[in-house]
Amino acid sequence: MVSNAHGSPVKALLVEDIAVCTFVLSAMLRRFNCEIGVANNGKEAVDFFLDGKKFDIVLCDKDMPIMSGPEAVEKIRALGETDVMIVGVSADDNAMEAFMNAGADVFVHKPMKLETLGTMIQEVINKKNAMI
Amino acid sequence: MAATMKLGTLGHAASMLSTGLLDEQFQKLLLLQDGSDPNFVAETITLFCEDGERTIGELTKQLDKRCVNFDEVAAFVHKLEGGSATVGAQRVKNTCIQFLEFCKEKSRDGCLKTLDTLRVVFYDVSGKFKAMLQLEQQQAEATK
Repeated sequence: MVSNAHGSPVKALLVEDIAVCTFVLSAMLRRFNCEIGVANNGKEAVDFFLDGKKFDIVLCDKDMPIMSGPEAVEKIRALGETDVMIVGVSADDNAMEAFMNAGADVFVHKPMKLETLGTMIQEVINKKNAMI
Repeated sequence: MAATMKLGTLGHAASMLSTGLLDEQFQKLLLLQDGSDPNFVAETITLFCEDGERTIGELTKQLDKRCVNFDEVAAFVHKLEGGSATVGAQRVKNTCIQFLEFCKEKSRDGCLKTLDTLRVVFYDVSGKFKAMLQLEQQQAEATK
């Protein structure tokens, strides 16, 4: 059971170009009462941060048009966004190295399990609560 | 009403699971459906089928070119692999994995053969998904 943060809900950014994956992951995030932003590729994700938007967690696919997941992760970290939990998500077995080298905190093989997402959301909530 | 609707879906899903068309990921999707999102499974399946059909069309076009761009082909296959993993369409996912190997080898023949297999497997699962949704709709109308 994921316990809520004292105050604001967890802000999640979903970076994914596959419509069905976005749909299912959004449903999972809603289970944990997350506020959800969606980017269809890495560039849109980076643009969110450049526009000053803040997120607690980013779930990022690897292969996307215009800008890949690892490239976006690298750029997001280079903006000084070190607090946000970044999760690389891919069906590609070789994606883990690319994501971790880019600065992701964790890699999860697609499909994401609800329990795994719950554990990560709880970690984010614990961190937010510790900061209050 | 929800329980009655699910029985038809569960029956179809059980048969697709036992033949290896679907894996346990599909069962997890069924668990995500609740009162606040009663059409979740139907919408997920519909998105997968529509996306998949578009992707197969694109793959056919790409492999028809005189000079095949295997990176582009692989990008489309990755999309279908990701979508099929998400809905639990195991056989489609496994065929995509084989397809990606031929893309790495830059084997046009291998890609073309695998595309034929992918078409058969995809239309098999999407046909059964559509039958499942039709049954759900009929049951929903019967209980109105």
